[in-house]
Amino acid sequence: MRSSRIPGRRLFRFPWRTAAQVAADVDEELQLHLDLVAEELVEAGWSPEAARAEAVRRFGDLEGTRRFCSSLDRSKETQMKWKQALETLGQDLRFGGRQLWKSPGFTFAAVLTLALAVGASTSIFSVVHGILLRPLPYPQPERVVRLYQPTEDGRVEGGNFSVPTFVDWRHESRTVSAAAAYRYGNLILASSAEAPERLIGMWAGADFFRVLGVRPLAGRWFAPDEEKAGAPRVAVISEKLWQERFGRDPGVIGRTLRLNGEPRTVVGVMARKDMYPDFVDVWLPMVFAEEESQNRGTIFLDALARLAPGATLDAARTEARVISSRLAKQYPESSPGLVIDMKPLQEVMVGDVRTPLLVLLGSVLFVLLIACANVANLQLVRASAREGEVAVRTALGAGRGRIVRQLLTESVVLALTGGAAGVALAVWATKALVTAAPQGTPRIEEVAVDGPVLLFALAITLTTGLLFGLAPALQASRPNLASTLKEGARGSRGRASTRARNFLVVAEIALAVVLLAGAGLLLRSFAQLQKVDLGFKSAGILKFHLSPPQTKYPGDTELRLLVDRLLDELDQLPGVEAAGATIWGMPLISGENVLGFSIQGRPPKPPGQEDSIRFAMVSPGFFRTLGIPVVRGRDLAARDRDGAPPVLLINQAAARQYFPGEDPLGKRIAFSSERRSNLNGAEIVGIVGDFKQSTLEEEVAPQAFLPVAQAPLPRSSLVVALRTEGDPGAVVAAARNRVREIDPDLPVYAVRSMEELVSASAAQPRFYMLLLGGFAFVALVLAAVGIYGVIGYTVRQRTQEIGIRMALGASRDRVLRMVVRQGLTLAVIGAAAGLAGALVATRWMQSLLYQVSATDPAIYSTVAAVLVLVAAIASWLPARRAAGTEPQLALRGQ
Amino acid sequence: MPKSSLDLLHGTVAVLILKALTWGPMHGYDISRTIRMRSDGALGLEDAALYQALHRLEKKRWIDAEWGLSENNRRAKFYRLTDEGRRQLDTEVTSWRAYVEAVSKVLETA
Repeated sequence: MRSSRIPGRRLFRFPWRTAAQVAADVDEELQLHLDLVAEELVEAGWSPEAARAEAVRRFGDLEGTRRFCSSLDRSKETQMKWKQALETLGQDLRFGGRQLWKSPGFTFAAVLTLALAVGASTSIFSVVHGILLRPLPYPQPERVVRLYQPTEDGRVEGGNFSVPTFVDWRHESRTVSAAAAYRYGNLILASSAEAPERLIGMWAGADFFRVLGVRPLAGRWFAPDEEKAGAPRVAVISEKLWQERFGRDPGVIGRTLRLNGEPRTVVGVMARKDMYPDFVDVWLPMVFAEEESQNRGTIFLDALARLAPGATLDAARTEARVISSRLAKQYPESSPGLVIDMKPLQEVMVGDVRTPLLVLLGSVLFVLLIACANVANLQLVRASAREGEVAVRTALGAGRGRIVRQLLTESVVLALTGGAAGVALAVWATKALVTAAPQGTPRIEEVAVDGPVLLFALAITLTTGLLFGLAPALQASRPNLASTLKEGARGSRGRASTRARNFLVVAEIALAVVLLAGAGLLLRSFAQLQKVDLGFKSAGILKFHLSPPQTKYPGDTELRLLVDRLLDELDQLPGVEAAGATIWGMPLISGENVLGFSIQGRPPKPPGQEDSIRFAMVSPGFFRTLGIPVVRGRDLAARDRDGAPPVLLINQAAARQYFPGEDPLGKRIAFSSERRSNLNGAEIVGIVGDFKQSTLEEEVAPQAFLPVAQAPLPRSSLVVALRTEGDPGAVVAAARNRVREIDPDLPVYAVRSMEELVSASAAQPRFYMLLLGGFAFVALVLAAVGIYGVIGYTVRQRTQEIGIRMALGASRDRVLRMVVRQGLTLAVIGAAAGLAGALVATRWMQSLLYQVSATDPAIYSTVAAVLVLVAAIASWLPARRAAGTEPQLALRGQ
Repeated sequence: MPKSSLDLLHGTVAVLILKALTWGPMHGYDISRTIRMRSDGALGLEDAALYQALHRLEKKRWIDAEWGLSENNRRAKFYRLTDEGRRQLDTEVTSWRAYVEAVSKVLETA
């Protein structure tokens, strides 16, 4: 008994021992030793009891040794368990790899399917992660909130508060630790060497970056005393400007820039990643003009705040509502209906893209599921072919668990291969997505295939591997041993397998129908958008912006002179047919500024309930230039200037809303703004056609148009529109030159053709439509491949039966019909389930749709028809083969 | 196991166990007896130290263990040398000899 009996067999091959067993073994070993020592002593003449006590004494630290050995053995046991698990895994991997290598056709199809699905899912997830999930790069970003006054439909828009409102709220609020108001504006950066450049400026409170919790990259942020009028003029520039304009020169701090004609000292540079929002070039301390800080009705501020430690968002919102409703009661004239509400900054930033992104993520996961079903189907077909192999292994003693593990490992190897290819695809696809994303998509530059995204890819890869591997593995591990071995693995797989395959195909079709329905809805919606009546003629129109600085054009008179001169000279440029200018009135990019007004001759409305209307300033030639018709009355004319009787035009929407059943022409209007008192009694002299003001989808809002030459002019971008004879691009250089001749310090920016602008307005829906359309197409192809595979397989299985039928006189047509009917049955069941699913799933999409109902019957029936047609073709191909069966061959083949 | 025997230097226990096992697989009591006999009773190995060392060596894979039956038919854990243990023994013996030689040289020149 002294020699090891089975060479190479080791203890760890025995079943794993529990901790108690390990301890028992140690005890037994030590007990034997003690007994043997005692025996030795008894032989030497000791009494048995004394011998036992002496043996224990001689042993030394018995208890310590017992504990030491047990714990050592336990850790050895664990180590070995892992080692053996790894060894088994290695075996399974090698075996799985060989099996996959042996059927390259199957492997290629499966890997390709998975790579496409994992690649698409991963790249969409990277976008969702970068935009929606990843927190903003600020400390405790969830505590940074944006203050706003909700619009009627609850949206967040720019320009929410007046200075006194903000100051009062800040003074009373106890729930925020820092708050800062801000506003945007145009800045002109003058330079002796280069052409003047237009920059986007933000005037912000000294606490702005304390709210965000970030420090400048270099230099410092503003000090509170720099917010006072008469303080030294300072500026903080963005990293982007620092890089592009100053080549990252550290000496830029302390340098003087001429911004809007004023010298300002650069005191700091903000890092790109810390910027909010990301398009700002220069930050300036907020210094309020006297009128602004007194007037509660002058609403132009936005604000950010950081919640105080311990304060919840709900508490802060409740407090803000209490304060604002008190202010609204206290100042009913100037702050009617004032509501201050808050939302986490991240939510505000990504609010518009949230739904479409989630819809896309959902769709791409559908594609992934379809891919799973497809690969599972391929596996099932293959599992039938491998019955023999599995039966032999079972017969040789492989347990069911071992076989399932082996088959699952194979699936996971397959999934990992597909997943790796998918990640490579995702890296490329994500870059493409970032490039193709519509302009202005928030945080798009933060999208990348990074750690969390790779984890996601790994997770979905492993999940899919298990999903599509489990059913076939369980099934294959339960073969009817005797019959399989006897029959030589020929078609003994029973109904269960057929049912599983049919179920998978039906599921695939159903998922594909949901995706197709979604894509169809977006397509239809996009088509509607393309048919929208813009209300203006975009062809041949060029527009650009100017920001005349207050330093050079201090009053309305100077500004009007500039507009007159610009339009006169631009009109005469060769290739230009007409020229017009507007502030806030440009189609698709008009401002949302509103003005309270009353119609003379009607009873005055109580304070807080006056009508208000969107308004814009336009030059006489503006509507003609843009091809906007004057449907009644007259257009503005050169004679409508300061000093002449005040006039205005309204759009049809305003006529409908405020003058139902009346003729608006000749009616007189009074504006509630004191600044516009010179316009009181302005007469409506014309009605212009409605045109799209901000988006293609919108309902046109009532709008009033005041003559540039009469109305007070706000300091905002002056938009010039030129109607050209042909290509708008051809006159850009000439127009730029002419503007430079008129004022060399006035940069021309945002130069675009109206057609580009129209196209950009549809960029987002187009992007979503193309993506979802792409997913739906992939889903359709995968579903078709699924049907083809299943029908093809059954045809092979039924060759003999078909041969008999034909031998007995069944015609080719009959066989063809029989097989196609089988495919169509699956398709119809799948399509029905899919349509039901689509009814539920597409509800999430309603907000993405324009003039299409999410349950549009035309689209649903088209989708179902397309699917049934594709299913018919996919089953017709194998059916033709079946019908071509030579009865003789089929029978003899058996 | 008389207490008068030489105290073992730290680390020597392992070499002695490995050496003992070159004569064939044996259980703990045999090992202790073998070492005592081969050293003519001069080297007494404390039982606690012996068993702790055995389990340590087993974890290091220098020795391997298997349950078998002892002479009087009781379940006993037999240890035997692995290939790795054999190699380790050679190394240890070589360095032990070098050590003894160096120490002896110093002591004899005194």
